[in-house]
Amino acid sequence: MPHKWAMVIDLDRCTGCEACVVACHAENNIPTAGEDQAARGRTKHWIRVERYWEGEFPNARIRFQPVLCQQCDAAPCEPVCPTYASYHTSEGLNAQVYNRCVGTRFCANACPYNVRFFNFYNPVWEKPLNLQLNPDVSVREVGIMEKCTFCVQRIHGAEIQAEAEKRELKDGEFNPACVQSCSPKAMVFGDLNDPASEVSRLAKSGRNTKLLGELGTLPNVNYLERNS
Amino acid sequence: MSALYGLYPAADSAQRAVDSLRNASAELRFDPRQIVVVSQEPLEHFAYAEEYAKSAMYWLAVLGGLLGGTTGYLLTSITQKSYPLPTGGMPLVPPWTNGIIVYEMTMLGAIVFTLATLLVTAHLPTFKKPLTDPEIWSGKILVGVTDPPENSRRQLEARLTQAGALAVKLNP
Amino acid sequence: MEKTSEQIQRDLVRPLYRTGTAYWIAVAFCSSLVLAGVSAFCYQLYHGIGVWGLNSPVFWAFDITNFVFWIGISHAGTLISAILRLANATWRRPVTRCAEAITVFALSIGAIIPLCHIGRPWLGYYLIPYPSERHIWPNFRSPLLWDFFAILTYLTGSVSFLILPIIPDFASIRDTTTGWRKRFYGALSLGWEGTPRQWHRLETAMHIMAIVIIPVAVSVHTIVSWDFAMTLVPMWHTGIFGPYFVVGAIFSGIAALILAMALLRKFLHLEEYLHPIHFQNLGKLLLTMSLLWFYFTFAERLTTWYGNGTPEMTVFWFTIRQKFAPFFWTMVFCNFIIPVPILAIKRLRTITGTVIASSTIVIGMWLERFLIVVPSLERKFLSYSWGTYRPTWVEDTLMASSFGLMALLYLLFSKFVPMISIWELKAGLPEHTPVVAVEVPAGATNLSARESPFPGGVSS
Repeated sequence: MPHKWAMVIDLDRCTGCEACVVACHAENNIPTAGEDQAARGRTKHWIRVERYWEGEFPNARIRFQPVLCQQCDAAPCEPVCPTYASYHTSEGLNAQVYNRCVGTRFCANACPYNVRFFNFYNPVWEKPLNLQLNPDVSVREVGIMEKCTFCVQRIHGAEIQAEAEKRELKDGEFNPACVQSCSPKAMVFGDLNDPASEVSRLAKSGRNTKLLGELGTLPNVNYLERNS
Repeated sequence: MSALYGLYPAADSAQRAVDSLRNASAELRFDPRQIVVVSQEPLEHFAYAEEYAKSAMYWLAVLGGLLGGTTGYLLTSITQKSYPLPTGGMPLVPPWTNGIIVYEMTMLGAIVFTLATLLVTAHLPTFKKPLTDPEIWSGKILVGVTDPPENSRRQLEARLTQAGALAVKLNP
Repeated sequence: MEKTSEQIQRDLVRPLYRTGTAYWIAVAFCSSLVLAGVSAFCYQLYHGIGVWGLNSPVFWAFDITNFVFWIGISHAGTLISAILRLANATWRRPVTRCAEAITVFALSIGAIIPLCHIGRPWLGYYLIPYPSERHIWPNFRSPLLWDFFAILTYLTGSVSFLILPIIPDFASIRDTTTGWRKRFYGALSLGWEGTPRQWHRLETAMHIMAIVIIPVAVSVHTIVSWDFAMTLVPMWHTGIFGPYFVVGAIFSGIAALILAMALLRKFLHLEEYLHPIHFQNLGKLLLTMSLLWFYFTFAERLTTWYGNGTPEMTVFWFTIRQKFAPFFWTMVFCNFIIPVPILAIKRLRTITGTVIASSTIVIGMWLERFLIVVPSLERKFLSYSWGTYRPTWVEDTLMASSFGLMALLYLLFSKFVPMISIWELKAGLPEHTPVVAVEVPAGATNLSARESPFPGGVSS
């Protein structure tokens, strides 16, 4: 049975520390936009922590919500791509094939979550940041779209390792960078097709909701609502 | 193209010339197909023009449309099947969206076939020097015989004049 | 007063021989605009789309606005001319060619824009279905592929529709001129003679083309609307977009046609061929489209308002009350409030009147496309990721150069091709017309011509 990768994010546990954002940048060779470009609305974070205020001061409460690609089963970004750069893998991931992308940006407009990013310029890493580039992840050139991959390089690495050792993948054996770096353990990653996995267990929670679930995109990221 | 022709002020005199030439074709030993009519505009309601008013162009356009549509169907379905990508829950060969391609290809087929039929049946483009006369463009109608037989030129000229030609000319 | 064949031939060919200073100034101005656009595009190619004002989440803005705008303008010509041909509306004769030329040029510009707007223009050929070493074909589910096929079909059809009836006119110039022109037009006329067989095939081909081109034109702008409607984006995801876009396209197209005709009339001295009646008839058509446009806008807005969905209403108020309200209400003024009285009141429906109405409509319809593209993207679902768009000089230059390119192509075309179909005009002369047809002579102001914009009866 193929894997079906999914994530559960417990909003009760998220402290909004943004360690996931930093880890993602480091793992996936995402350049920082810089002050100037950020002011023009061109920040590039494959995962971002959205911050909403509830109520009026002084009774205001803050709500954090990490948003990354929801890896939808019925992804609006996929059918609109004319070159199949945006497509669905057999393991349920929304993949982006950089070589095929011509940069129509249609997928980014079609995505209700705004989690697809465009390379407005060629990426630049100031010295010595160029030395920390991850060799497992390709660097994206100007004019193409990119997005969260659930750290597909780690998924494939673990699968190859398990196959070499002639064994099944173990739950929690590897994690995407954001999950790995989440100190309050608000994020859990795993295989939904494995009923014993932590992700499967948490997804059954009564607190489970989907972000913009009413749109029918069938996301694979599950949010556990706040109780407190 | 060598031709002997007369210029006529209106369709009726041109028709007279055509009839007269046709009647004489056996006697003067030339093929009726050597008779040419050239005008600055379509000559409707003119017996000689009506002979050409039949063509299979509409049916060829329909045929082109059918072929185009079939091409559109094959292009979409075969390529989609030959590379069965996971499509995230959409059918591999989606009839709704492929229908749009089939529609556009049908129309394109009809257009291309019409264009091709026109060019072939109207003999365009041709590198032959066209039989023409500047006078045509001020409303005259040219009626003549291409490659007129040497020995019957005098009779042809007489017939062209008799039908009401304003001028009779010989194209070298 | 009726003209003779000689007069028509002489008057309509004259602009090909005489070139004034104003013409060269206009050509120089338009060429410099085009050159500026090419430079801006090279600058963009070197640095990346970042030199535009786009951002996350506004990934389309001026580029797609102009794409929709020009494809819309292209609906004037071929569609109008095909309908009038099929309806056998005789007043069409002096109008068709300048309309069809608008179609071909506007469509070409519209087809270039997507190639310039993609992130990697050098890979634009990935959208063309051909067997490649990549072993992968384009995705026929994508509305962009539908665009490709629709524009390909429409361009093939409208180029043929424009070129075919020019061939006899080229032949007429070939036979009545000398020197390089004789050789030039000799080559262009493809050896046309004018035999009954050729005339019949040409007319049949035009008839078939007219039949085919109408559904194609409708499909083209419908498919352009589906670029938006196929997404879930608020105020984009609606079934009304297809017909709404088609109506808007014809609306802006007729406006552009009236402007082009007025300019041709003035600068090519075609006063005796393009009469007030032509502007009046097209003005009535424009009035109809203005009313239809308002109806569609109202229907679209009402449905959204009554449905009261949060994401939709966010965009709804954003356009009509908040940031984009000045643009929205300018659009309503330009497309409806100003043109309707001008076009509805007979005394105001003059050449000047229709030109004023057309000018505001062209502006209004550009704003309409902008208001479709940008506000929805700025206010898409999650409020944390809302954005703001502001164009840069590169986008402004590219847009200006698209107008410059349109004008330049039109100017050059008018220098090499008679802008009114000579042979069709001659065929419309009374002595050449069979008695059965009801002939409205060009320029006649008799009642039958005034009563209906479609003497042939398409209006029913």
